[in-house]
Amino acid sequence: MNDDKLTTAAQRLSKEASPQRDLWPGIAEAIEAPVRRRWTPMFAQAAAVLLLVGASSAVTYIAMKDQQAPVTVVSSDLLFEQASFGNRYNLGPGYLDARNALAAELDADLARLSPQSRAEIEENIELIRTAIHDINLALEQEPDNALLQQRLLNAYREELSLLRRVGGLTRNVMMRNDI
Amino acid sequence: MPALLTANSSDYSPDMVTVAKDEVEDEAACIWRAQRSDTRAFETLYRLHVDKIYGLCLRMTGNVSEAEDCTQEAFIQAWNKLSKFRGDSAFTTWMHRIAVNTVLGRIRKSKREHDRIQTAADALPTPLFTNDDGELRDLAEAVDRLPEGARHVFVLHAVYGYSHDEAGSMLGIATGTSKAQLHRARRLLAQQLKEQGFEE
Repeated sequence: MNDDKLTTAAQRLSKEASPQRDLWPGIAEAIEAPVRRRWTPMFAQAAAVLLLVGASSAVTYIAMKDQQAPVTVVSSDLLFEQASFGNRYNLGPGYLDARNALAAELDADLARLSPQSRAEIEENIELIRTAIHDINLALEQEPDNALLQQRLLNAYREELSLLRRVGGLTRNVMMRNDI
Repeated sequence: MPALLTANSSDYSPDMVTVAKDEVEDEAACIWRAQRSDTRAFETLYRLHVDKIYGLCLRMTGNVSEAEDCTQEAFIQAWNKLSKFRGDSAFTTWMHRIAVNTVLGRIRKSKREHDRIQTAADALPTPLFTNDDGELRDLAEAVDRLPEGARHVFVLHAVYGYSHDEAGSMLGIATGTSKAQLHRARRLLAQQLKEQGFEE
């Protein structure tokens, strides 16, 4: 069969045929189904932004958590148990040891901070220590006053907490310098 | 009882075909209504064009069930894209493009499926086009045996009359490639038909 005959024969081939089954029900089912929400570029962008914010927050949280971790080394509960008032408000030996150790490091820690930060911290320590002194004076007048006892305990707790925070701050400064 | 548009299948009752001649609307009106989500108008379009689209799918795949799936998918695609139809070309041409894309997409999607099509085409258990008889049936079977690329070009260019530019555009190939595939198809067909005893 030459090209011309082939071309003529090809043109005579049927171009239409009827399917052996009705295809409409399947088409109708597909096109009448409820429109599903599509994953549009706008949704994708919004999701990406949320993911980015979430990931950044998680990374920041983990980093900050790691930086703050050394602060929790001292078990304050145990110390304050020992600091509870025994023989006329004498502090427990564990608390005193921790307090003295932190106080000894205080000067070195403060030296690493800026003058402004150092002055602010020294002022706060002074305020707390003044409060401790005043409460002790009051307790001499009213040794069994539970409110004063609680205030004294809180003041010691604040002092210890501040000393630990100063240590933490200076450790952060050192870490940055090391990097 | 009104005359029916399409009722030549033994698998479904003519009563299922709801479109009667006296109910046939102007194609343009059906398109306009279907573009506004009128599924009944779209069904009318389907009844008007299903044989043309199924015929093309059958020529391209050489497989009945594959052609049916492609036809369904093509009409679903057409429904989804109907708002983009501006009437720049005939609705049939627009549908042909979608059908060709559907066939090619399914072939690309699954090589395994493609192999199955080829195997089925090789077997050719029954004539796929009942109107092809005698010499034409032999030619049709020879076309079904052509390699995929050559078959697609031959069907679009030689059978459906699309130019090489149009066939190349529909198939995603260059015009020169379309010409080369047609040449290859003619050579293979001539070889096959000669083996079957047809004269030059």
